[in-house]
Parts: sequence; structure tokens; C-alpha cells
Amino acid sequence: MAKLKPRVPVREQPVEERIHNFDSVPYGYNEEEAIAEAQRCIQCPNPTCETACPVNIKIKDMIHFIAQKQFKEAFLLTKEDDAFPACTGRVCPQEDQCEGACILVKTGQPISIGKLEGFAADWARKNGIKEEIKVPSTSKPKKAAVVGSGPAGLACAADLRKYGYEVTMFETLHQAGGVLEYGIPNFRLPKDIVEYELDALEESGVEIKLNHTVGQNIGFDELQEEYDAIFLGTGAGAPRFMGIEGEKLNGVYSANEFLIRANLMKASLFPDWDTPIMVGDKVGVIGAGNVAMDAARTALRLGAKEVSIIYRRKMDFSPARAEEYEHAKEEGIIFQELVNPVKIVGTDRGWVKGVEVVNMKLGDKDSSGRPRPIPVEGTEHIIEIDTVIEALGTMPNRLFLSKAPELKTDRKGIIITDENLMTSIPGVFAGGDAISGGATVILALGEGRRAAKAMHDYIEGK
Amino acid sequence: MSHKITRKMDLNSADFYVEVEAPLVAERFKAGNFTILRSNPQGERIPMSIMKAEDGKIAMFIKKLGKTSMELYKTLDTFENVIGPMGNPIDIKKYGNVVVASDLVCGHAENYAICEALSAVEGNHVISYQTYPTADEVYPDEVLADKVCDEYHLTTEDGSRGEEGHYIDLLEERLEKGEKIDVIFAGGALPNLQELGEMTKAYNVPTIVTVRQIMVDASGMCGACRVFIDGEMKLACIDGPMFDAHKVDWESALRRPNMFVEKETVATKLCKETGRC
Repeated sequence: MAKLKPRVPVREQPVEERIHNFDSVPYGYNEEEAIAEAQRCIQCPNPTCETACPVNIKIKDMIHFIAQKQFKEAFLLTKEDDAFPACTGRVCPQEDQCEGACILVKTGQPISIGKLEGFAADWARKNGIKEEIKVPSTSKPKKAAVVGSGPAGLACAADLRKYGYEVTMFETLHQAGGVLEYGIPNFRLPKDIVEYELDALEESGVEIKLNHTVGQNIGFDELQEEYDAIFLGTGAGAPRFMGIEGEKLNGVYSANEFLIRANLMKASLFPDWDTPIMVGDKVGVIGAGNVAMDAARTALRLGAKEVSIIYRRKMDFSPARAEEYEHAKEEGIIFQELVNPVKIVGTDRGWVKGVEVVNMKLGDKDSSGRPRPIPVEGTEHIIEIDTVIEALGTMPNRLFLSKAPELKTDRKGIIITDENLMTSIPGVFAGGDAISGGATVILALGEGRRAAKAMHDYIEGK
Repeated sequence: MSHKITRKMDLNSADFYVEVEAPLVAERFKAGNFTILRSNPQGERIPMSIMKAEDGKIAMFIKKLGKTSMELYKTLDTFENVIGPMGNPIDIKKYGNVVVASDLVCGHAENYAICEALSAVEGNHVISYQTYPTADEVYPDEVLADKVCDEYHLTTEDGSRGEEGHYIDLLEERLEKGEKIDVIFAGGALPNLQELGEMTKAYNVPTIVTVRQIMVDASGMCGACRVFIDGEMKLACIDGPMFDAHKVDWESALRRPNMFVEKETVATKLCKETGRC
């Protein structure tokens, strides 16, 4: 066997430049780089990468096509299983999925599957290659409604359209895209990519109704009357707070608020754009997942002098994507591990001046399979910061649920579905974070697609 | 789709009236609901009280204060978005003797809407109090709540028109005399709503007030408008905007709206320099 070549590195924006802008950090592969990386793939007879992919993208053949310079074929093949490869190539936790299962992982040099997927999709976008959508023509098409325009809803709407439905999507905000727009920063997922996908969806005939909140300015009962089937992709958009003393102080944000201001409302362009954001000199982000990394790196780009991640475990146990953690480290984010906030302390004027933390040690494994952090008594001390961003995960949004009391949920508000993703209401389906409480973009895309098929079968009476 | 402004007029030296086409909001509006405005494609999302809704249009009272409102007042003839209705309407039912009180721009709009809704319910005696600092600052007759209530009190703090004094003091006099008031709805200046709550608590009168906070999405996603009611965190956008004045943590409710003051000053200054407002 020939000696294995190392991974083709991805060119990136230099650290000293990128911490002052919101442009994409990775530049992505060019054609030569993509081919060279694809040629490293040994084309396993049993591609474990594919089984490890939540939507089972035909990765082996995709890579083969790229190696053969058949980029269009690679893209179209990916699209068969993944509605938005340009997005998932950038935001999937590949090290836990395809790349983690790559046979070459043992050498420490698995194939850069995410970057190849992103390359194929970017190449198609730049070359005007689109998936051909044939909407079956029927004299009286059936109607489907999709509530929420995040990843699950988008994938569901795209497929419903392909089945020939008249699809209307309802979005509360003035911009479609859900978490892809309001949550994930441009430096990780450029918004022109999301908007390209939204345009394609509208071109295919899906109607997107912005500023429509189901339960608020259009009734859930009205939807049930008007549409043959409904998909709920209402996400898990509500912030979680720690519930500790001092959260009432000014200078305390949920990561949701901080990122919505920065991403959706473009606070980095203030005052040309109207929405302000206050970022102090010393920012502390509580939590260590992807959202925490996004918030920390956004704070840095908005001018904070020192940004810390405050985490009660060790970073080895963080759920963040490896690439984001690496980028955050390179950018100078400080990692304060094994400390847990107990209180936020403020100035006389009601502004944050620090967070009191207690040291933690790691105990036995908990339900998440990670060592349980245990407070070490008497180690309380104050970390001086003037802005707190709480990135502790999110919960399903109460607004819609309160207006649909007949919909069965669990105690946390997670919508309960059967094996076909149908909710307790016949003809009403759900997917994405609304049924998981918070997972990944790729899972949401997969569920959106699966629900579209189930809705089609339901309407056809199968 | 932008929304056409169909009428604008001065209300006094500080406030103006705007009427805008917003069929979706107008059709579903109930007293207590608010709308989210964006003035332009780069605009922020601002919660605004609604005075009335009819013929696919809504009317609002706006203070010429920040960048967005100044720009609206001076140069714009459309809104980028008029979203909603958001928030919860009040419970429109028979209460008996209802007082609706206000002393500031948004509060006056809410006053009109609540009076109109509750006076339509048989068995309610709706008493409206609208307090202004002085005669010159009283809004034009056509927008006062006298037309939509059973008993109207226009008051000025210096006594230059109507009754003299703030509605809080005038209500206290009535309560002191033993008059029965079943519920009070109030909106306007937050410190005064706190004071009102402190006053009515002694008389055990249910007091429901608008706790106006900064909002971004206004759909329960960001938590910017969090208020603490009886120690529990609530969101003004989806749990409010009206809460029991006796249970509100006023210290944080009064402080949080000032979180961005520094930035807002910068925006207004720049806007004025460039002639946009």
C-alpha cells in the first residue's frame, strides 16, 4: 500500500485579519485541492462514513466523482440525501459522524468529507448548476403548510414541492432561515449561501410568508382547516438561563439575544443598521458548545478585548465542533475550565462587574456519559468581566405551544411524534429541534425530508 | 412589502400620531396587543402600543425620541414592517368599576384601546384618567379617550387644564373616600406605574400595568424583555406585556430599558447629522 498522503489543508483567513471581520474563516478547497483530497480516499467496500451520516449521503461515490473532476455529478448525488450540502458541509460535527467513522481516522488523517461536500455545493452555486426540480402538474394540487423556516422546515418544504404540493411556509421573523440566519454567524456560515437556498426554494414555487406567527396572527385551527397536512418546524428557540442571582443585571445576555442582535439584526454594522449591541472589554461566555463558541468569537469581532469561555467541565467533554474549538483557540479565546458560576455580581449602577464561580472536579459518569462536575467547597472566587453571555442550550418556544394546547408534548415542551413523525393531531407532523429539544442541522434536514414523505403518504391515504 | 403611512400629525411638542396600513395586525388586534415596527430594511424591531385598529389600518402614538422615531416623524412615508399583533390581549370581560389610567405616549394609546374594549362589555363602568404635564401638552381632542369611556378625567400636573394633579394622587383620594374600584389598568412612565402599584396595594385594588421593555424578536426567543414577577422570570413579549403591578420586580424593570442608552445616543446624533432625522 502506497504511503498515505496527509490531509490537504484548508486555506483560512489569517487570525489577525479575521478577528476584525465577519467573513468566512475557511476559504474552502479549490478544484486542485479538492481533487487531491478526494484522491486520498481508499474507496472502502463498506463505507462506514455513510452509515455514520445521519442522512446517509452517498459519500463514497461523491468523493469518487470529485476525484474524477465530475463536480456536477458529485453535487447532484449529495443533493439526493441532503437538501443543503453547502450548509451541512460547514456546520455538521463531521468528527463525530462521517469523518469520525472514516477508516483513515486511525492514521489521524481522515478524509475531509465536510470540506469536500462544501466544495461540491459551492462549485455548483458558482457555476449555476442546480438540481432540476420537476413539480408534477395536477389540476388541483393539495396544500401543505410548513410552520417555521429553519432547516427542518426548509427541507420539508423543498420535498413537499417536489411531490407536487402547493406549499406555504410561515415564519415569525422578517427573514426566513431560522437558526441558519439568526443563530449561526456569517464567519461560520456565510449568509449568501443561506439566501441562495431560500431563493431556490421560492423559485421552485414555495411561498414564504414572513412576519406570520401561527397562533398570534394566524390561527393554528385556520391552518388545519385550510391545509391537507401541516409540518411543525418550530425549533427550540427559547433561551435557557441559569437562574442564579444577578441575571437581572444589565450586561447579561442570553446567547440567543446576543447572536440575534449580531446576525439577524446586523449589530456589527451599527449605527448604519439600527440595532445596537453593548460589548464590554471583558466578556464571559457561560457554556462550551457551538453556540458558546459562536458567541465568544462574535464578541471578539465586536471589539471585546478579552473573551473567556467559562465551563464547568474540561473542554475534552465539550459538545462543540472540533474546528470551532480550534478556531476559537487560535483567535485567543480564553478557556476557563472546571469552574461553575454561582452568582453574577454588579456595580452600584446595576451593571455586571464579575461572575462568582466555584471550582469543579470531575466525578463519575452522568446520564450524558460524561464525568459529572462536582463543586469543590470553599473555592468560590470572582472572575472580573463586564458582559455575561449565557449559552446553556435552548428550549422549545412556548409561544406556539401555548396556542396549540391540543398538541401533545412532554414536560419540557418537546412535541411528541410517532415513528412517521406525526404528532398527536392527525395530519400534523413535526421535526427538527421541536421534537429533539436541540440537535444538529443535519438531523433537522433529515427529519424534514422524512416528514415530507410521511405527509405525502398520509395524504395519498397510504 | 412595505406599509404605507396614511396619516401623521403632531400630538404635542414631543409626540406624534401615525396611522399605517397593516391589514393583518388590524384584523386581529385586541386591546393589550402591541405591534413590532421596523422603519427601514436596516431597521431595529421596536414594540409599539396601538391606539385603535380599523379599516385595515392601525393608529399609534410615538415619542420623538430615538433615531427610528425621529426618522419616522421627519422623512419616512412607509414602514418596512408592521408585525403582529404580538403579546396578549387583556381579558375583555365584566369587571364592574374599571379605571384606565395613563400619563405618557404609549400609555395614552393603550388607554384608548382598553377603554373602547371594556366599555363595550355590559356591566362595566369605565373611568379613564389621562394625565399630561400642562395644558399645552394635552393631545388634540380627537384622540382623547373621552369618546370611548363612561367617565372621563383629563388632568394636568400644574392644573392648567382639567383637574389638577397626577392620576395616582386623584385615584388615591377616591380610594381614601371608600369608593369601590374593581380593577385598574395603567400604562405610561414606568416609575409612576411602580408608584401606582405601591399605592393601590394598600387598598387591595388589582392593578394591571404595561411593563414596557426592550424587545428584539418579540416571540420569546431572545429573553431581552425578561421581567421578574413574584420572583419568576417572565417574558414581556409572550407572557405580557401587562402584569400585576403588585408582583413586578421594579428595580430591574426600571433598569433594563437603559441598557443601550449610550448606543442610542450615538445613533440619534449620527442620524441628525446626516439629515435623515
